[in-house]
Formats: sequence, structure tokens, C-alpha cells
Amino acid sequence: MLDMQLIQTRGFRNTVQNGQVVGFQFNVRLTYYRGIFLSQLRPQKVVVDGEVFPRESVIWEFDGKEYTFAQMRREGNVHWCPETPAILKIRKPGGLSQGYHEITTGYRFSSSYIPPVLQRTIDTDEPDPIYEILGFGQQHDTRRLLLV
Amino acid sequence: MNLTEMKGPKRGVALYSYSGEFGVSMNLEDCFADMRDMGAVGVEILANSHIPTYPNLDDAWVEHWFQLLDKYGIVPAEYGHWIDSRLYEGRELTTQESYEMLARDIKIAHRLGFTVMRTKMGVIDEVNTPVTNWREIIHMALPLAEEYNVRMCPELHMPTALKSRYVDDYVDFIEKENTRYFGFNVDFGTFQDKFDSDFRLPGMPEDGGPASRPEDIIPILKYVYCCHAKFNHMDENFEETTIPYEKVIRILQEHQWDGYLLSEYEGAHKNEHGYVSDQLRRHHILMKRIIGA
Repeated sequence: MLDMQLIQTRGFRNTVQNGQVVGFQFNVRLTYYRGIFLSQLRPQKVVVDGEVFPRESVIWEFDGKEYTFAQMRREGNVHWCPETPAILKIRKPGGLSQGYHEITTGYRFSSSYIPPVLQRTIDTDEPDPIYEILGFGQQHDTRRLLLV
Repeated sequence: MNLTEMKGPKRGVALYSYSGEFGVSMNLEDCFADMRDMGAVGVEILANSHIPTYPNLDDAWVEHWFQLLDKYGIVPAEYGHWIDSRLYEGRELTTQESYEMLARDIKIAHRLGFTVMRTKMGVIDEVNTPVTNWREIIHMALPLAEEYNVRMCPELHMPTALKSRYVDDYVDFIEKENTRYFGFNVDFGTFQDKFDSDFRLPGMPEDGGPASRPEDIIPILKYVYCCHAKFNHMDENFEETTIPYEKVIRILQEHQWDGYLLSEYEGAHKNEHGYVSDQLRRHHILMKRIIGA
């Protein structure tokens, strides 16, 4: 079972590769009611304590396989199921320090049953007030999580 | 006679209703356990949401699925899926690609025991006109649907009126193809006649009335294979406050319509633990009182 929020408590830690801390990672869940193919996903940047990590620099992992922003756009057969969180990996030599960190991120997605006029700005990297008015399509979250 | 053998409108649940809690505080088995409490028999799953390995099927999960159906006395009523015409940025799927997506779902639906699919096609405007090649896509899939015995059903959903060019085009297609493998899911939201605000979806009647009157369903009833018993709010007296439920269900009974009414909650508070389960129970009291079972 997962946290109700988009950004998950479980999964936040530094990433260690060959004994070196190469960055950090955290999990996000799909807060849309249906699963989507990766080509439908429009990820946004990740902001940690004010430091911006552009979406092109974030690696998304699904079922043990890693995808770049560009790779996801072509994956029309790899599916993200709502019960399984994605792992977001961000390269940052040395990782994050022990203590609390404020993380902000989000995503939108293409929904073919929604009128195209309401989907024109799904690919912008900033939150768009139009989706708050619609009450649909903008999945966005900020959490303060503790790194051990 | 058990409930599944009964002819007429039968009670079920669209698992979409639980989308606020699914994966957070409820899994598939919790949904089924909730349904059993209500005596709801038919289930609609959303392929993309409720099949963990979608669009692939895992043998162990399929076994689990049938065990759960058996354990809770649930019947597969409708398989919700999408033909995501805007799957790739900047272009629409070709007819062949759309067919392949649809064919994949026909096979999965069949393997999981469904004979009705809620087939959601992409739209091209704000009144939900389907993609221009919908006839070609469906025509291509009809032999496969027949082979696997599943009926593809677009959902007629507000703001779509049952009396409209949109529906007439579908009926013309069904009659021309003379097929029983393409029909409708009628979403009861089309009968909604009370609204919280003056906000109207594009395409709704300008006089403030509902998109459809209950009797508008009669001419197309022979092509309706499933209904979304959409509801927005159940009050403490077990009345739905926005949709004329009794009129609609009485019409279905009078015309010997046989199929599942799948409760689909579209109101507020979906993320509140237990809220939707309570609304669903109220909704099933309403339907049970009218249907009698």
C-alpha cells in the first residue's frame, strides 16, 4: 500500500553505486485513476530545497528498467500501473545530506478521451492554474522528507 | 435461482468508484469484499488500473483473479479500456495501430471472462466527437470480437445526448454491419437533471435541462449491453439527488432489459477513507429497492 500523496515516504534515500553515493532517489505514485503508457507521461522538473533538476536530467525507473525523458516519449507499450510507484533517480555526486529535504515535483499526461483543447499545455514544465480550475490532469506535490 | 441467472437489471460496481483509495488503502480483494457486503455481483475493472501487468497478463495473476471471483461470488460484467489515439505526441494513432491496441484488449477481456467491453475511443473536440476513423477501427475488429465473444461498447456519457447525431451515427453503423459485437454503455449521468451550479458542459441543452430524458433510452435499448449507474450524491434517505433513478430503472424493467447496472461514483470526497464505500452501500439500497434483488 502507498501513501495517498504523490511523493512517497518510502523510497527516499541516497543512491549508492559501486560504493559511491552518486545521487538520490525517491518514489512517486500515479495519482491518476488509470494506468498510462510512458509515452503519455509528461514529467515536470524536480525541485529539492530550491535546487532545480530539469526534467531531462531525471531518470525514471519502472519495473527495474530505467528511462530518460526522451526514451519515455517513445515507449507506447511500457505501462505504469497505479499500484506500483515509479522511482525517480537524480544524479548528484555525494547525494543529499542527512536531515529534512523539501521535494517538489509533478507530471501531467495525455488523455485521449479529454477534448484536445484542454490538453494543449500538458507538456509545460510549470504548474498551470487551468488544471486547478478543471480539477483534472495536474498531479503535483511538495513534501518534506527525512533522509537518514 | 441465483442473482447472476436473474433476467433484468442486475447490480454491480464499477471499480472506478474506488479510485481514490485503490493502491492506498484498498486492493482488488478489498473492492470485491466491499461488493459482497452490498450483494453486488457484476464488476467493471479498468484494464489499465486493475491489471498490474497490463498490457500483459501474468498467469499467476489470472489464477488469482479467478480465485477472487469465486471467493466473493463476483461476475466479470464489463472490461474498461481505452484506444488512446493520442498515445504519441504530435500525431494520432493510425487505424492499424488503433486496431492492434483494441485487439490486445479483446483477447485480455476474453481471458478474464468478460463478454462486454467499455471501449473508450479518443475524441477530437469538446463535445466528444470520436476520432474520424472510428468506423474503420471497429469494422476491422468485429471478426475478432465475434471470435472472442466480446461486445465493444462506447460509453454514452454527458454531455452526449441519447437523441443526437453522435448516437445516430453509431446506430447506423450497427445496423449496416448487422452486428451484435458493437453497442453501447449508457452512463446515467446523461439523465442528470439537477446541478450544483450553473456550470454547463459544452454541448448540454441551453435551457438548463438534462442531456437526455429517461425515455430517450428506449429506441437504443436493444444495443445497450451495460450501464454505468453513475451517481453523484446519495442522501441519508437513500435517494440519488441529481439523477431520476427510479424512472430510468423502471423503463429498463418494462422493456425487459437484461444486464448490469454498474455503480459509478462521481461525487466528492473520493480520497476520504470509507466515504465511497458508504455511498456505494446507499446506492445499492436504492437499486435493490427498485429492482427487488
